Amino acid sequence: MGLRIKILSGFLLLSLMLLIAGLWSINELKSIGSSVQRILDENYKSIYAAKLMKEALEREDSAVLLLMLGKWEEGRQILKSADSMFVHNFSFAKKNVTIPGEQEQLNTIENKYRSYKKLWERPIVDTNREGNLQWYFQQLHDSFMDVKEAVNDLIDLNDKMMYQTASELKNRSNRAIMPGIIAILAALIFTFIFNYLVNYYMVSPIIRMTERVKKFIEKRTPFDIEVETNDEIAHLAEAIYNLCESVRSREEEQ
Amino acid sequence: MRFHIVLRYVALALLLNALFLGISAAISYFNGDDAFMPLLYSGLVTALFGIFPLIFVPPASNITNKEGLLIVVLSWLLSCLVGTLPYILWGGVFDLTNAWFESVSGFTTTGSTILTDIEALPMGLLFWRSSTHWIGGVGIIIFVLSVLPFIGIAEMVLFRSEISSMVRENFHHRARRAIQIIAGVYVGLTLLETIALVISGMNLFDALIHSFATVATGGFSNKNASVAFYHSPTIETIIIVFMILSGLHFGLLFGVIMGNIRDFWRSSVVRYYLLAMLAGVALSAWNIHGSVTASWTEAFRQAAFNVISVGTSTGFATADTTLWPAFSQLLLIFFALQCACAGSTSGGIKTDRIVLLGKSFLRHLKELMHPNAVIPVRVDRMAVGNDVVGKGVLYVAVYLGIVFIATLLLTLLGVDVLSAFSGAVATMGNVGPGLGTVGSTGNFAHIPTAGKWIYSLTMLLGRLEIYAFFIFFTPAQWKKTISY
Repeated sequence: MGLRIKILSGFLLLSLMLLIAGLWSINELKSIGSSVQRILDENYKSIYAAKLMKEALEREDSAVLLLMLGKWEEGRQILKSADSMFVHNFSFAKKNVTIPGEQEQLNTIENKYRSYKKLWERPIVDTNREGNLQWYFQQLHDSFMDVKEAVNDLIDLNDKMMYQTASELKNRSNRAIMPGIIAILAALIFTFIFNYLVNYYMVSPIIRMTERVKKFIEKRTPFDIEVETNDEIAHLAEAIYNLCESVRSREEEQ
Repeated sequence: MRFHIVLRYVALALLLNALFLGISAAISYFNGDDAFMPLLYSGLVTALFGIFPLIFVPPASNITNKEGLLIVVLSWLLSCLVGTLPYILWGGVFDLTNAWFESVSGFTTTGSTILTDIEALPMGLLFWRSSTHWIGGVGIIIFVLSVLPFIGIAEMVLFRSEISSMVRENFHHRARRAIQIIAGVYVGLTLLETIALVISGMNLFDALIHSFATVATGGFSNKNASVAFYHSPTIETIIIVFMILSGLHFGLLFGVIMGNIRDFWRSSVVRYYLLAMLAGVALSAWNIHGSVTASWTEAFRQAAFNVISVGTSTGFATADTTLWPAFSQLLLIFFALQCACAGSTSGGIKTDRIVLLGKSFLRHLKELMHPNAVIPVRVDRMAVGNDVVGKGVLYVAVYLGIVFIATLLLTLLGVDVLSAFSGAVATMGNVGPGLGTVGSTGNFAHIPTAGKWIYSLTMLLGRLEIYAFFIFFTPAQWKKTISY
């Protein structure tokens, strides 16, 4: 194998190793980007919708208390807007079902909210429920807490998934870095070995040949040098040997 | 010392690793798991380091003993190093320490693990983990030499450097033939066990993993509960048979295959190995009956599998041996120190040295009774020189000394005495599980970082039979090694 191919193969192998490490790191970084997007799409939006559902529930609870105090118009207005806020966000969450168990949780919320709504849809003002704290604490408040708890469970479910995906991101960032670190270390070792072999098989024979040529010129010491490889260096040594031999035989003839 | 020649032979060992990394990557690709890129990249980096010296360095058929020793030790160390790459690149629980521990444990066929959930690993990585057992089991250099065409004197030097003198004595063949016999028996046993396990109901992947671990006397299973997962007396029996076979001298085993049963039964080492195992099983079964299990059948079943597993340095488990009575636990410690025959894939002190020690002790008693008598130590009707006896005694003393020092250091790190000592015995003997917190149902995950490095060192010392490792790190060894 010729010197050119040997040296080229060294650089090519090194480049290939760095190229693959680079491509892999880029791929991992891209996948980190898509994981971040997944967290936003799958979990954060659901959590945001659930929080607004909770806010709507709180406002409905306040509105019921207003109705119990006899403030019909104010209470009904707040109930109407809070209900539409809850339904809107619930529909949004229902369209964004992305994790296992989320659909079941939404069905639970829907059922519990239906029961809760039935309680406050019936007239309160000018009925026996107006000012009836016993009715509020025994029926309405329990139902309200049930729905709120179900919404909290939905938030927990998405929170857990968000944490899990974030942990995966940590592992992925490690995977993006590691090929680079290994490539750098491998390149350093590779360079050391490459340097050693170039010195041993190329530089060192040339130095030895130079010394032998000098000795030949000065003292006519025979040019006998051993080259282990069968490449241009060996051919050069052979050519110099032939040259020295021809010079010596010409001198002997003279 | 010619560093470039050393480099060429070490490169061949790296190429062997690259081949198995490639197979693991292919398994990972077809399984669609996330270990594909870590395995592929590790394989490529290893292959590049393997190919490059072969391009530059021309073949050399003549190498010195010093170079041979360096090639063997470097091949082991670098194989362990490249073995960490797929683990580190995959991530999860694998930091540098854990990856190094798992890799060294694999190549040295120890089978100790830092994994708490083995089944969570992707298929490709599980295959690589078991491959490290199979590559290391027969000896990395022996494996390389068996697939290479004849390379002259270098082959003999490398063969001598890789295996201990004790192994060579039972091979009445030239190095080339001995290598062929070792490799042939090794591959044959693996194939036979795989087929037997598949027939008994295991899937092909699990069968391969368990065959690699049994024949290499390693112990890595792909199940958290090890072999106990299968609840199958047939599978346990098959594994017991192959553990016993893998603990025998491969040369004698080859002789049996070729019809020479007489040599096999005449060997006092083989007779002692089989009798000791039988006695160990019987005593353990008698001891655990009543205290661990009420049934005699179950007591024998548990004792047979677990005693033979430790006694052959395999390390599979079907029972929680930390719950066994103290007598049985001490028996396990004895078998973890002794292990099986030289010339097998087993670790430990080896039955050959135990037989030698026993016979030299008897000789000494006779000499005390008859001060003027000249009594040689005879093993299988052959007189053994005093130098060989001396070397055997020294080896056992140094071996136990290292176990003691490792225990001392581990207790200093806060590990309890039982776990530290049994862990040191199990890692030095390349057995795998110890007792206490590192028992058959435990793992080494909780051991402090420094402790994991100590255990990794004892695994390597045990595998390389101590001396080669120490010589490698002697400064004089490296003088004038790198010269242009």
